[in-house]
Amino acid sequence: MKRIFKNIALYIGVLSTFVATSCKPEIEGFQTTPGEANFSKYIAVGNSLTAGFADGGLYLEGQQVAFSNLIAEQLRQVGGGDFRSPFFSENERNGSGYLQLKDLVNGQPVMENVTDNLAYREPGKLSKYTDDIENLGVPGMRLDLSTEGWFGSMNMYFERLLSDSDVGMKTYMQFATEKNHTFFSFWLGNNDVLGYAMNGAVINPNDPTTVLTATATFKQTYSDFIAELTGNDRKGVVATIPDVTAIPFFTTVTRESLIAAVKAQSGQDIQDIYIEIGTGTSRAASDDDLFILPFASAGLLGNTSGENPAPYGLHPSNPVESKYVLDSDEVMAIQARVKAFNNIIKEIAKAEGLALADAHAYLNRVQHPGILYNGVAVNASFITGNAFSLDGVHLTPMGNALIANLFIEAINKQYRSRIPKVDASKYRGVRFP
Amino acid sequence: MQIKKLLLGLLLASPTVLWAQGSQVNTQGQKAVGMAGAGSALFVDETSIFYSPGALSKMDHNAVSIGASAVMYRSAFREFNSNDVHHTKFKISPPFSVFATFGPKNSWWKAGLGVYTPFGGSVDWGDQWPGRYELNHLQMRAIYIQPTLSFKLTENFGIGGGFVYNVGLVDLSRSIPTASADGAPGRAELSGMGTGMGFNVGVHYHLEDEFAISLSYRSKVTTKLKDGDAEFTVPPALATSFPNTTFDAELPLPSSFNIGLTFPASERLDIAADATIIGYSVYKELVFDYKDNTPVLEDTKQEKKYENALSAKVGINYEVCDRFDLRAGGGYVYSPVRGPYVSPETPDNNRIMGSIGFTYDLNDRWDLTGAYVFQRILERTVTSANTGLSGTYKTNIHAPGISLTYKW
Repeated sequence: MKRIFKNIALYIGVLSTFVATSCKPEIEGFQTTPGEANFSKYIAVGNSLTAGFADGGLYLEGQQVAFSNLIAEQLRQVGGGDFRSPFFSENERNGSGYLQLKDLVNGQPVMENVTDNLAYREPGKLSKYTDDIENLGVPGMRLDLSTEGWFGSMNMYFERLLSDSDVGMKTYMQFATEKNHTFFSFWLGNNDVLGYAMNGAVINPNDPTTVLTATATFKQTYSDFIAELTGNDRKGVVATIPDVTAIPFFTTVTRESLIAAVKAQSGQDIQDIYIEIGTGTSRAASDDDLFILPFASAGLLGNTSGENPAPYGLHPSNPVESKYVLDSDEVMAIQARVKAFNNIIKEIAKAEGLALADAHAYLNRVQHPGILYNGVAVNASFITGNAFSLDGVHLTPMGNALIANLFIEAINKQYRSRIPKVDASKYRGVRFP
Repeated sequence: MQIKKLLLGLLLASPTVLWAQGSQVNTQGQKAVGMAGAGSALFVDETSIFYSPGALSKMDHNAVSIGASAVMYRSAFREFNSNDVHHTKFKISPPFSVFATFGPKNSWWKAGLGVYTPFGGSVDWGDQWPGRYELNHLQMRAIYIQPTLSFKLTENFGIGGGFVYNVGLVDLSRSIPTASADGAPGRAELSGMGTGMGFNVGVHYHLEDEFAISLSYRSKVTTKLKDGDAEFTVPPALATSFPNTTFDAELPLPSSFNIGLTFPASERLDIAADATIIGYSVYKELVFDYKDNTPVLEDTKQEKKYENALSAKVGINYEVCDRFDLRAGGGYVYSPVRGPYVSPETPDNNRIMGSIGFTYDLNDRWDLTGAYVFQRILERTVTSANTGLSGTYKTNIHAPGISLTYKW
């Protein structure tokens, strides 16, 4: 009798195991492996993108979803260790302050600055963070200034990370290469072009971040930096520099949209917008001239003054100032420089056996024709494109997740690793009020 | 300045509904379910209204039966190059069927009425999976009401036909990529009811105790959904771009042509086989026509490009004693859905089926029939042409069912 019960228990056990396993379909998992790389100490070297800068500021939520942090999260599944970032505290979560969308009026964005819970210890200086970190991204960092000690006292994001005695002394290259890393990501060089381009290709003699870096300087510094990072046969991933015509900062305000705005406001039937070009003369704008995004809210178009009674931008004698415009020659010159820089990056990556994330090609694809990601249209349209945040330059959380996947793909390809990709649909685009 | 068409492109993919093969779970008669869907030529009873209208006139009595199944549709998804497997929530959808026959005994004609649910299902992926912008949940049901007449042309040859009136119900939701102030995505919910019409015809021929054959054809039924409700949950600044509105849509339910054979293998053992061609090629696209359009809420058209599908089923029926029959069956179904058009509503692929069943005659008047069918939709790795979602699906369907028949 006992035996029968024992058997019944066995049958029930077998049967319920069968039902439980067959009810829920199982799909074999993705076999993760670090491949030829060692991810135990990953450091991220770079600028604002690496730091998680977004919406015109550095703030906690953006830091948490920086593409480098998302990569580090995935690396945990292939032997990755701690990845510490200089997060702002909860009380100072809004960091430097940032832009948010306040309203849409007739489909046009109205922005406001977030001004509470900021992290300034005094004007122009952020609360210090000098603990050990692996996310070394510094907004505004340029390759050409990564070898200058004085830049640490000029850039508040770098100053924040340095001990008082190192401020003004330590270079970013020194700072980034003393962490005993086993793997690195390196995405510098954007600001060597962007600082110049965002100022309308006008160099401000008092601001070294508006200079266009010389190709020779770029090449020398890039190879020096990579040599430091790859010493002792260490591996890493580098990324190319995006095209200026791929970001909404330069593509949202167009000749056409300005003419339409003037017509809508004044009823005047105008044909041309006049711009000051690099050579100092003025001419009518073409569709190949790029206006910078802040010009939209500068409120200058059509204004007159006592000195110049001609309406601003609408008359050859009072053109849109050069700092608001990349004229077509400037665009071509910048694109040529970006191409030269990217060739250097690709050559060095190849010579050093590094993985290459081609952000230039990827963001051009986002710009045109756009990509379709899990039912979401991702493109370079301002606000609605899901990829770029409210400053028109930096990425949304979703944009960061997609770039993280671009890096992961590159690493997997180069080092035969199998790092699982990020579910980018978990991350948002622009927030609406 | 003016940013024209600022919001254009927020909504890309349309809400998708389809009455795919995955939603076709044939549970109309529990005897046939016990044989994996075979038996249209074998069983001459009230369920012939559905399976073989030509056989209905050969019934020597009248009967009413009522049956229901508990269909458990369980899917899993793993995004390409990801480690996370996502499962649909546990849901039971209860297709039911009622069949009744009328008419004189042993006559040359018989009438019948069937009410059944040939398409239906419930799938709930939730709003936390990688395909959330394609689908959160979908619930649907098509109820067919079919009055039928059947005539015996000779003792061995019967012909029958019926008129089909369909009531279709659908209810679905998906996330939309409009982050609110707290970062959460928006949501679209669509629900509606539609109706359609079609017909069902068939012939049945048998040689005494040797052999029987059944041919039947069910027409396509185009269900027209009118004034369904479309509701959007979006941040307030976008509310005027996503007005709560109504929509019209057309959902073609495919035709099918079935051939069934049966013959006895011994005194107590019958073998039956059925093959069905399902005319899914009618499902080329899905169009949603919103009553109130805005730049972001435009009418949508989604490619489906289905192909015709084929299924084959074989079953055995063993008469244990006068009052007790056991049966078992197996089958294979070729999917009508091509890889790029597989969607999470019914992540379809070819499928295998296995079933068991029984009928117990409680007495001369009452029969109790039970069946259990298991379907495995084979693992399939696809990249969606409509959304770009790329990954591997796998689905198990469990459907235990029971029916009760009263004869007179």
